[in-house]
Amino acid sequence: MSSAILTVWRKELRDAVRDRRSVLAAMSYAFFGPVLMAVAFFFLVSQMTDDSDVKIDMQGTEHAPALVNFLAAAGIQQRDEPWPNGRQPIALEFPADWDAAIAAGEPARVVFNADFSNQQQRAEISRVTQALQNYSQQITQVRLLARGLHPQLMQPIDVVRQDSATKGSRAALLLGSVLVFILLSVFWSGMNVAIDISAGERERNSLEFLLSQPLSSTELVAGKTLTAASFAMFGAFLSLVIIPFVFAYVPLERIGISVDLAWQTLALMAVMLVPLALFATALQLFVSFRAKSFKEAQTYISFLLMVPMLASFGIEFARIKHQALYYLPLTGQHQAFLDMIKGEPLNVVAALASAVITLLCSGLLMLGIARMLRSEKVVFGL
Amino acid sequence: MISVQNLTKSFGDIRALDNLTFHAPDGQITGLLGPNGAGKTTCLRTIYGLQKADSGQALIDTVDALLDPLAARQLIGIFPDKFGLYERLTAQEQIAFFAELHGLQGAARNQAVTAVIERLGMTELAHRRSAGFSQGQRMKVALAQAIVHQPKHLILDEPSRGLDVMSTRILRDLLRELRAQGTCILFSSHVMQEVAALCDRVVVVAKGKVAAEGSPDELCAMTGESALEEAFVKIIGTDEGIAA
Repeated sequence: MSSAILTVWRKELRDAVRDRRSVLAAMSYAFFGPVLMAVAFFFLVSQMTDDSDVKIDMQGTEHAPALVNFLAAAGIQQRDEPWPNGRQPIALEFPADWDAAIAAGEPARVVFNADFSNQQQRAEISRVTQALQNYSQQITQVRLLARGLHPQLMQPIDVVRQDSATKGSRAALLLGSVLVFILLSVFWSGMNVAIDISAGERERNSLEFLLSQPLSSTELVAGKTLTAASFAMFGAFLSLVIIPFVFAYVPLERIGISVDLAWQTLALMAVMLVPLALFATALQLFVSFRAKSFKEAQTYISFLLMVPMLASFGIEFARIKHQALYYLPLTGQHQAFLDMIKGEPLNVVAALASAVITLLCSGLLMLGIARMLRSEKVVFGL
Repeated sequence: MISVQNLTKSFGDIRALDNLTFHAPDGQITGLLGPNGAGKTTCLRTIYGLQKADSGQALIDTVDALLDPLAARQLIGIFPDKFGLYERLTAQEQIAFFAELHGLQGAARNQAVTAVIERLGMTELAHRRSAGFSQGQRMKVALAQAIVHQPKHLILDEPSRGLDVMSTRILRDLLRELRAQGTCILFSSHVMQEVAALCDRVVVVAKGKVAAEGSPDELCAMTGESALEEAFVKIIGTDEGIAA
C-alpha cells in the first residue's frame, strides 16, 4: 500500500475519532440496536411462556369444590382484583346442580365466558380450556374403570407430533432479524464519517487544496474509503460482540430456541463483513462526493440506506431463494450468515466468490470516485 | 520558473482564458493583476492541473501539470483560492499531514514542520485545534501548509484577502524572504497597493488575455501615469491602454 494512502487514512481516522458525532453514530447503532432487540424478544418470550397463576372470575365455586381444587392445582385461581383496562373478563360459572349431574353420570354444565378472539388473552384462555379438558378426561377414566373398561378405549388413535423444525432452524426465524441488523451495521456505522470526509470536505472548502497535493485521486479515495470502512467495521464489531452478551439475558431456551453464536462464528462473520464494509462506504462516498454540503449528502445517503434495508428485509421475510443471491454483495453475506446460524455447512466457494465480487464492486466504485474527482465539473460544480 | 503558453479555456460561451501567455521567473515575485472574473483563478488552477485548458500549456520548470500532475505538484506550494482547515486537527497536525503528502516522513517531516511553525511565529498555535482560529491565524496555517516542503515555486491565489495589517506584513516579509532564496513566486491579486509593494513583475490580465506586462514602474511609464492604480485603469479600461 502506498504511503500516501496510509497518510490519508491516518489523518482521516484521527480527524474522525475526534468528531463526537461520528463516533456516537457508530456506537449508538451497535449499542442500542441489540438492547432494543433483546427487550423486544424478552417480552415475546415472557408472553409466550407465562406460567404465573391465571386469575379468572368464578361463580358457584361452592357447588364444585373438587373441580375448583383441580383448577387451583393447575394455577387457575379466583380473581379478587378488577380486570385491567382493555382486558375482557374470563369467567367460569358452576350451576347448583353440578354435583347431582356428576353423580348421575350426565354432562355437568359449566359456563365459560371470555373473548375468544382476544390475542392477548389467548394463553390464559387456552390454559383454562386445557385444564377443563384434563378434568373431564380424568372423570371419564374413572367412570370407564368403574364399569370395567380400559380407558385406552377412549383413545383410538395416537398422534405423535414430530416437529421437524430443529432448534437451530427455529432460531433462524427469530435471528433473521438479528442478521439483517448485523448486515446493516456496516452501512450505518460509517455513514457519518463517509459524509464528513467527502461532502464535508467540500463544505469546509478544503477539497481544492487536498486535490492539489501530489497524490493521485485514486490514493486519496482509497485512504478515505479505508477510513469510513474502519468506522463501519468498528460498528459491526461492536454489534457482534454485544449481541451474544445481550442475548444471554433473554431466556430464548424457554421457547425452544437455542442461540448458540460461538465466537468462531462471530469471528468468521466479522471477517466476511470486511468486504461489505468497503462496499458500503465506497457506495456512500460515491454518492456524497457529488453533494455540495453535509445536509445534501445526508439526504442522498438516507435514500441510499433504503436499498440495503429493503433488500435484506425483503429477502429475509419473503424467503426468496435463488442461487444468484449467494454471489452478490450484501445478499451473498446474508445467505452465508443464514446458513451459519442454522448450523448448516458454510458454502465456502460461494462465500469466497461473494467476497471477491464485493471487493471488485468496491474497487470499481472507488475508481469511479477517483475519476469523478479528476473532473473539474464535479470538483468545482461548474 | 513557471511559463504559461497560449492557454485557452472556455466555459460554454464564456472565454475564461484567451491565448494567455506569460512567464514567472525564479527569484522574482510575479503578480497576476486583474479585476474579478478576469480568469486569474482559472489560470492558477490550470497551472497545478486542477483544471484543463482547451489548448496551450503551462509548464513548471519543464513539467506539464496536465501530463504529469503529481510531478508538477511536487515542485510547487499552493495557497489556494479557498483554504478550509480541518477544525478537529491541531495546526501542527495539519501541517504535518501535508508534509507527509509531499513525501516527508518521520524525523524529516517533524523537522520541516517545526521549522515552518517557528518561521511563521505560530509556536503558541501549534498544538491548538484550529476550530477557533482567527482569519490571520488560519492564513498562517494555510501558508505553512503551502511551504512546509520548501517548494521551489509558490502559487498564491489572493493571499491577502481578509487579512489585518499585521498578518499582511508577515505574509509580505515571508514572500520577500522566499524570493531572496530563489523561489519563483506567482500570486494573483486585485489589490493595487499589494502588487505595487511586492511585485517585481506585474502581469495585467483582463478578459482572459494579458493586457500588459512589466515592472510596476514600466507599467506606469507605459501609460504615462504616476500611480499604478491609474495605469491599471488605463490598461484594462480602454483599448488604447492595451495597445500601448
